[in-house]
Amino acid sequence: MECVVQGIIETQHVEALEILLQGLCGVQRERLRIHEICLKSGPHLGSVTSEVRLLCDLEQAEPSWTVRHVGGAMRGAGAEQISVLVRSMVESKTSKNVLRLFYTLGYKLDHELLRVGFSFNFYRVAQITVTVSSINKMLKLHATDEAVPVTPGIQMVEVTAPAAAETYTEVAAAVSSFCEYLAPLLHLSKPGISTGVVPTAAAAAASLMSDGGGTTL
Amino acid sequence: MPIRCILHWQPNQGTMVNSQILNEISQCVESLNGVKEGRCKASLTFYRPNLRDPSTAIDFPRDFLGISMLEQPNKYYFIIRGHKLVVEADYSILTIMEKLQSYKSKVALHFEGALYKLGDFQVRVIKVVPNQAESLRGIMIEIEYLPISSVEKSKPIMEDFIDLWKEVVSKKSLAGQFIHTEPNYAEYGLSDNYTSQHTAVQYAAALAQLIQSSQLRN
Repeated sequence: MECVVQGIIETQHVEALEILLQGLCGVQRERLRIHEICLKSGPHLGSVTSEVRLLCDLEQAEPSWTVRHVGGAMRGAGAEQISVLVRSMVESKTSKNVLRLFYTLGYKLDHELLRVGFSFNFYRVAQITVTVSSINKMLKLHATDEAVPVTPGIQMVEVTAPAAAETYTEVAAAVSSFCEYLAPLLHLSKPGISTGVVPTAAAAAASLMSDGGGTTL
Repeated sequence: MPIRCILHWQPNQGTMVNSQILNEISQCVESLNGVKEGRCKASLTFYRPNLRDPSTAIDFPRDFLGISMLEQPNKYYFIIRGHKLVVEADYSILTIMEKLQSYKSKVALHFEGALYKLGDFQVRVIKVVPNQAESLRGIMIEIEYLPISSVEKSKPIMEDFIDLWKEVVSKKSLAGQFIHTEPNYAEYGLSDNYTSQHTAVQYAAALAQLIQSSQLRN
């Protein structure tokens, strides 16, 4: 399972966010270029329709493939009270012909997109990953070189951390407390709950750009 | 990784495999000064589609194979022989398959055996047994040549060893013989450099041969 929160930021403030993240995380950013292919089971397969995502990491010299299954979110009063979404998530790295496997098994292409941006990976109570990326759509099938932004001028920010049934409360708390440091620039919330851009972003970005991200935890 | 070659035991018409033959084959390896060095195990599982309406005509495979190997505990292999497709994945793919519920695992067969060292060669004497049963369904031999990982380059050495092996076994006058059918790896998109995916393809081919020969017997 994983803990996850999402938010959006205007592209003009991404550089300031990167400076802030650099200061907070103390690690170098990693470039991100991921081709994400969402597949759904055909009409006769399985008692209910199932969905699986194939991620192709285009940043690697030899593109690497991962199968990801995102399950349902944790429910109940406990889940309501925490500000991050806790959901089941399983990943498996595979050989490069995995798309052919799923097509052969009766899965169909639902949609595909290209995420381009950067990420920070660091350890704070849990292994936290922050990704900042623009979401692009392909005008032609698999044509990642001709992708265009879905929401020009807006980028998506996602904070995730792997968790287990015994640890998710601590991991969720770690993710929440980390998000507070980003609050002047953007607001992060459970996926599906859009909170838009924050009004303080421009002022916070200007301040960060002027002091060069000297602020540390 | 080093090249491997798998031979399966084909009993003579009207006969069956039995543990006596398995013992005799193990003795053949020992007669070549093979030293027992460990055990080996692989599990093969059939996956069948979980259809909403079983009478529906489908355009995807009726079944495919999943293979796990003791020597690669973090990996899992899928093989669809009809489509000449082999896929290597982290073992967690099994959890994903369970969550998707689009395919159900059905029958499992185990390839279990002993590993013998003979100089630059390693030989595994493998018995094929069904899940939760001791009955012997087949016998295979896996020959590994440690110095070479190129399929092409190892061919003359492997052929020589297989000839020698068949000669040793023939002296026992057992009711059957070893058959070697090497899959066309290029059809699966595999290179000349031997990998565990090559082994998975050979296991699937050997299993198909075993099923075919048992159907012929029946």
